[in-house]
Amino acid sequence: MIINPYESAKKKIDIAAELINLHPNTLEYLKKTERALVVSIPVMMDDGSLEIFEGFRVHHSTLRGPGKGGVRFSPFVTLDMMKALALLMTFKTALLGLPFGGSKGGIRVDTKKLSERELEALTRRYTMEIINMIGPDKDVAAPDMYTDSRTMAWMMDTYSMQKGRTIPGVVTGKPIEIGGSIGRIEAPGTGMIYILQHLCQKLNYNLKKMSVAIQGFGKVGSVVAKQLCNNSCNIIAISEEEGGIYSPDGLDIDTLIKWKQQGNLLKEYEGKNTSPITNDKLLSTECDVLIPAAVENQIYSKNADKIDCKIILEGANSPTTSQADKILEEKEIIVVPDILANSGGVCVSYFEYIQDMQSYFWKLDRVNQEMKSILIDTFEKIFEFSKKTDSSLRTAAYAISANRLAKAHELRGLFP
Amino acid sequence: MAVNPFEMAKKQIDIVAEVLDLDPNIHKFLKRVERSLIVSIPIMMDDGTVKIFEGYRVHHSTIRGPGKGGLRYSLGVNLDEVKALATWMTWKTSLLNLPLGGSKGGICVDPFKLSKKELERLTRRFTAEIINIIGPDIDIPAPDLNTNPQIMAWIMDTYSMQKGRTITGVVTGKPVEIGGSVGRADATGMGLYFVLQAMAEKLKLDLKSLKIVVQGFGNVGGSIADLLYKHGCKVIALSDISTGIYYEDGLDLEKLLAWAKQGNLLKDYKNDKYKLIGNDELLTLKCDVLIPAAIENQITEKNAEKIDCKIVLEGANGPTTPEADKILFKKEIYVVPDILANSGGVCVSYFEYVQDINSYFWKLDRINEELKRIIIEAFEETYKISEEKKIPLRTAAYIIAVSRIAKAIELRGIFP
Repeated sequence: MIINPYESAKKKIDIAAELINLHPNTLEYLKKTERALVVSIPVMMDDGSLEIFEGFRVHHSTLRGPGKGGVRFSPFVTLDMMKALALLMTFKTALLGLPFGGSKGGIRVDTKKLSERELEALTRRYTMEIINMIGPDKDVAAPDMYTDSRTMAWMMDTYSMQKGRTIPGVVTGKPIEIGGSIGRIEAPGTGMIYILQHLCQKLNYNLKKMSVAIQGFGKVGSVVAKQLCNNSCNIIAISEEEGGIYSPDGLDIDTLIKWKQQGNLLKEYEGKNTSPITNDKLLSTECDVLIPAAVENQIYSKNADKIDCKIILEGANSPTTSQADKILEEKEIIVVPDILANSGGVCVSYFEYIQDMQSYFWKLDRVNQEMKSILIDTFEKIFEFSKKTDSSLRTAAYAISANRLAKAHELRGLFP
Repeated sequence: MAVNPFEMAKKQIDIVAEVLDLDPNIHKFLKRVERSLIVSIPIMMDDGTVKIFEGYRVHHSTIRGPGKGGLRYSLGVNLDEVKALATWMTWKTSLLNLPLGGSKGGICVDPFKLSKKELERLTRRFTAEIINIIGPDIDIPAPDLNTNPQIMAWIMDTYSMQKGRTITGVVTGKPVEIGGSVGRADATGMGLYFVLQAMAEKLKLDLKSLKIVVQGFGNVGGSIADLLYKHGCKVIALSDISTGIYYEDGLDLEKLLAWAKQGNLLKDYKNDKYKLIGNDELLTLKCDVLIPAAIENQITEKNAEKIDCKIVLEGANGPTTPEADKILFKKEIYVVPDILANSGGVCVSYFEYVQDINSYFWKLDRINEELKRIIIEAFEETYKISEEKKIPLRTAAYIIAVSRIAKAIELRGIFP
C-alpha cells in the first residue's frame, strides 16, 4: 500500500483539530492548498534534443507571512507530495512562531543524469516560470533534496536579473559570499543537538553517557553525528542508503567522514570491534537515542514494536508513520517530532532572510544563540501542552501550530 | 467510455505533426501546457458557513502573445478539461493569426446553487487568486459556459481595484458601458455567416436558395438563424432542448425568436404547418447546409452515414467526432471546422481588447468589416490547403495553426 503523503499530512491535522476543538471553517482551510502552480520546463540538452520537465511550486498557506519552503529535484516529485510538504512547512513555521507561511517546490527530474550546464538551464528556466509566485515578500525558496547552495545561487541570480537589481532575499541557503548566513548548512544538526541536550536535562539523563544510533549520513545525519561525537556521546551505529556500520564501543565520526570523502561506503569500513549493519537492523538496535535522519516512513507498523530506545529524535521529515506513532506511544518511547526536531534549518533560513532584508550580517554566535532560544522556547511550550492534554509531543506540536493559524485566520477574516 | 479531453487534444497534435513532419522538439513542446495554476477559493456563504471551491487557470501557449480563453463555471470542470480547452484556443487564435496565445480557466461549482452575492464573492476571490497570471499583457479571460458579461465586469473591477487603476483590457465580453465592444454578442453568428457565404461562393451555390438546418437555438444557433432569415435564406428546420421543428418552405424566424425571447420553448409554439421532429431526424434531414450549434459529439459514427447535406458548418465546439469526420470526408461533405467556423467570438474579443488598450472605440460597421476580413482570410488559406493536399478542411486548419506556432517557437528559441 502506497501512502499518499498529502492524505497522511491531512490526517495529522485531524488529530490535532480534535484535541483543540478547531473551528470547522479553519480546519477546512488548513486542509486545502492556497495555490499550486504546475509548469513545464523545456531544456535544450547538450545533445541538441529538447527535454520537457514538469515543475511545481505550491503555497499551502501565506496566512502568517510569505511562504517558506524548499525546492526538491527528484524523480519521485508529484503534486500531492509537494502539497504535503508545503503543509508541513506551514505547521513548522507556525510552531516556531516565525512570520512565514508554508510552501514547497520541485522538479520531477533525476539530477544524476544531467550535466552541470543542463542543470543550470533547468534551474534558471524553472525560476523564470515560477517568478510570479516567489519573492522576499511572497515566497522564499530554500534547498531540499538534490538541491544545494549552488542551485540557490542560480535561482537568486535569475530572479535578480529579471527584476533588474540584486535581491538575495528571494532564496535562503545561498553561499555566504552572496548573502547566505553563517551556520545555515549545519543548522538542522545544531538544532537537534540543542533539543536533545534540553530534553536530557528535563529527564535527568546524562547526555554524555548515552548511546546513539543514527540512520543517515547526509546533511543532517553527519552534522549531528559529528557534534554528538564532540560531546563525547557513544555513537554505536550509523548508516547510509547502502547500509551502515556498528560498534558497541562507539564510532569515531571524524574518521568516518574522511572515509566517505575518499569515496568509500560506510559498510566497508573496518575498525576495532566494528561490524556492518543493515538499515533495518540499525533501527531496532538497543540504544538510548535513535535518530532517523534519512527518508520518510522508516518506522512503520511492521518494525515499530522492535524499536528499542528511550528517545526518537526525528531528523528526517515524516520518518514515523501514524500507526507506528501509536505503538511507540504505548511503549512510552518519547518521539521528538520532525516539525520541532529538524526545524533548525528553517529557523536559520529565517535568519538569513532577515539579514538579507536588513543588509546586516550576524556572527555565528548570534545565529546559534537566537536559534537556541527559539527552539528551546518552542520545546517548552510543546512539552507543557503535551503534559496538560496528555498527548504525544507530535500532537501537541500540531495543536500549537493549528491554534496559531486559527487565530490568524480569525483575525484576518475572509476576503473579499 | 469517457474520453479524456486532454488526451484527445494531444492526439490531434500527433496527427498534424505526422502530416507536417514536425520537428520532434517542437512536437514535444506543443503537447505540454505552459502552466496550470490550481487555487482554492474560500467564500463566505449567505448562511455564514465557509465553502471552498477549486479553480483553475491554464496557459497552453503564450508564445505568440498573451493567453486568450474563456472561463467556465460548471461541476464538470477539471484540470484536464481546462488543459484541452486551452490547447484548442491556441489553435484558434493562431489560425486567425491574432497576436494571442491560448488559455482557459474554470471553477468546479454549480453556479445555479449560488445566490448572486455568493457568485460575486466567488468571482472576486478567484480573480484575486489568479491575479498574477492574468492581465492585458499576460492572459485575457472571456465568458464561457455559465459565465456572462456581469461576471466579466466583476473580474475587471477586482483586477482594477488591486492594481489601483482601471484596466479594462484584462477581460473581454464585458458590458459595452465599461469597455465592452459592440457586436460582441452576435460575433459568433456573424462569423458563421461570413464563412458560409464564402463557402457557398466556392461551391458556386446561391445562398438564398439553400435549405438550411440549425441545431440549437441559444446564443449561437439563435443568432445565425436570425442572420440567415434577415438575409433571405431559408431555414427549414431548427431545434432547442425541447424539440425540433420543420417546415419545408422555411420557418418564420422573426416570430420564433420573439417566442423564444419571452422564455418559451419551441414545442409549445403553435403553427399547424410546422412539424415537430426529433433530434436524430433533424440531423439527417435532406438539406444543403447543416449547422450543429448546440453541444459536442452530435455527428458520430452512428449517424454520419445518414447525414444528407453539402456543407456542415460547426457552430458548436466539437460537434463532429473524428470517426464521423472520416465518413463525411468520404461522402464529400464539406465540414467547416469549429476552430474556423465559430471563431467570430474570439475575433471580436480580440477587437474588444484592441479597443481597450487603445482607449478608442469602433462602430459596429468597422467591427463587422474587420471580422469579415480576418475570418475570410483564414477561410481562404484553409480552403486552399485543403484543395491542394486533398485533405479535410479541419486538417488544413490545424496545419496552418500548428505551423504558425512551430515557426514562433523556432524563432524565439529556448530560454535561457
